Amino acid sequence: MHKQLIISLLILTTAFFANTSKLDLPKHFPKPIYNFESNPTSQEKIILGSALFYDPILSKDSTISCASCHSPYNAFAHTDHDLSHGINDQIGTRNAPALFNLAWQNSFMWDGAHKHLDMQALAPMTHPGEMAESIENIVKKLQNKKLYPPLFQQAFQDSIITGEHLLKALAQFQLSLISANSKYDQVIKGDTTFNEQEQKGYTLFQKHCNSCHSEPLFSRFDFANNGLPIDTSLNDYGRWTITKKTEDGLKFKIPTLRNLSYTFPYMHDGRFKKLNQVLSHYTNPKYQSKTLANELKSPLTISSNEKIDLIAFLLTLNDKEFVFNLKHQFPRDILIKN
Amino acid sequence: MRLYTILVFIALYSSALAQSAGERILFHPTMNEQAMELGQSYYSITLEDSIQFDALKFYISDVQLYYQDQLVLSLEKTHHLIDLENPESLTIELNPNKDSILTYNNIRFNLGVDSLTNSSGAFGGDLDPTNGMYWTWQSGYINFKLEGLSKACPARKNVFQFHLGGFLGDNNAIQKVRLETSKKEQNINFAIDKLLEKINIKEQYQIMSPSIEAVEISKLVADIFTIKS
Repeated sequence: MHKQLIISLLILTTAFFANTSKLDLPKHFPKPIYNFESNPTSQEKIILGSALFYDPILSKDSTISCASCHSPYNAFAHTDHDLSHGINDQIGTRNAPALFNLAWQNSFMWDGAHKHLDMQALAPMTHPGEMAESIENIVKKLQNKKLYPPLFQQAFQDSIITGEHLLKALAQFQLSLISANSKYDQVIKGDTTFNEQEQKGYTLFQKHCNSCHSEPLFSRFDFANNGLPIDTSLNDYGRWTITKKTEDGLKFKIPTLRNLSYTFPYMHDGRFKKLNQVLSHYTNPKYQSKTLANELKSPLTISSNEKIDLIAFLLTLNDKEFVFNLKHQFPRDILIKN
Repeated sequence: MRLYTILVFIALYSSALAQSAGERILFHPTMNEQAMELGQSYYSITLEDSIQFDALKFYISDVQLYYQDQLVLSLEKTHHLIDLENPESLTIELNPNKDSILTYNNIRFNLGVDSLTNSSGAFGGDLDPTNGMYWTWQSGYINFKLEGLSKACPARKNVFQFHLGGFLGDNNAIQKVRLETSKKEQNINFAIDKLLEKINIKEQYQIMSPSIEAVEISKLVADIFTIKS
């Protein structure tokens, strides 16, 4: 009797652990902000999340998927588009941000409109210029597509699709996008070393850039005005649009510098195509306003040789393995077959 | 002695049954002292014009029963979406397990969703974002939704829309409600005509984002909950 009980307990425990697998969190990263207890990781959720991420069914006319503006080859940003576009080729007002290392961020979107990764997906889904769909209708469409009820059953032990499960699966796929194997990471882990130029650039970076684009995530992920003059065709006041506080005027979320070769164009409105232009922005006098970041009140003074060194270091933040990781790409087996 | 114990048990048990029979909250949205119905035309004395309601939905959270200032019970289910379109939602069972005798003389709850829940990710059930009570363009639940139309309202198509919510800093719109009661079944009146006396929809008819105005109107909404005598 006791033996039976122990055996069945053992089976239950293995079944439980088989279903939950932890994400491989990089040891040189801080503790994640995302609360995995409320949405435990499992392969089934990540698979479902990837199907949803690449499926245009989320948009009103089934033309746009999340991946339309967050492409894996661009570290899940949108290359060549300063501003991203939604259904009927409508142009938005901001450059699609890269998606990776999201478990370490406490707000989402350029203005921090969303406080939690789970809920962020509601914004593009329902924006009239992006996917222009309602979550109620997305849930209905998914319930009626043969592919999805079994995938939800596997991921959440429930084939009845809910908004909660849809959002949690999408979050799980996005949480699995961890970029932590650039040359910089390998140097930190002691697997390799910087060359002389990169090392010089690293020293310059720590002196001039690290206070906002802090290691190892290369952003402190709060909001700052970096002195860009306002684009009067957009009149985007950034964080102010959410808080309506004057001290937040013209502030945007500080983006990570990781994978920067893949994520051009740069800035919230994608106004700079080249890294050189970005550096020139920092070495030139800024657009003066009350909210301009203290760190940028006077222009950065570095020589043109130092600029080259700094860029050499910045390029060590590219994580090729992440960008070409098949696990993160279009889930052919699921979406084509069905 | 044994007989006495049994008798006490029976007495306690039957009084528990009697108590639990009516241990619930029933919300009664009313207009001009009639049960309010969606899509029906009413005359508003305040507006001196007709008015019709198309949606009334709100969150009631953290229901607690108190005897004076002594906590008697906190409901296990924390968030209840009250939706006039769904009559079942107008009832909240206070003692679903019927496992204790509740002696209380005041009832406390919040109108709205607390800031922690607002920033803790996706939830199901009454808090599922498919219920149409979540802002999508930014974080946050809509605590209270009232929509309708009146010729007195100068908006496009005469439509008024109050979507009250917000949980950050000064814009935190959640409201505490406390009602004294001597009854077992809590029939709570929610007289919309009393609200219309305080907000002039000839001037203010559209709130759809967190703001100080949303907080002010939320206070007025919280004031119209009364125990039905």
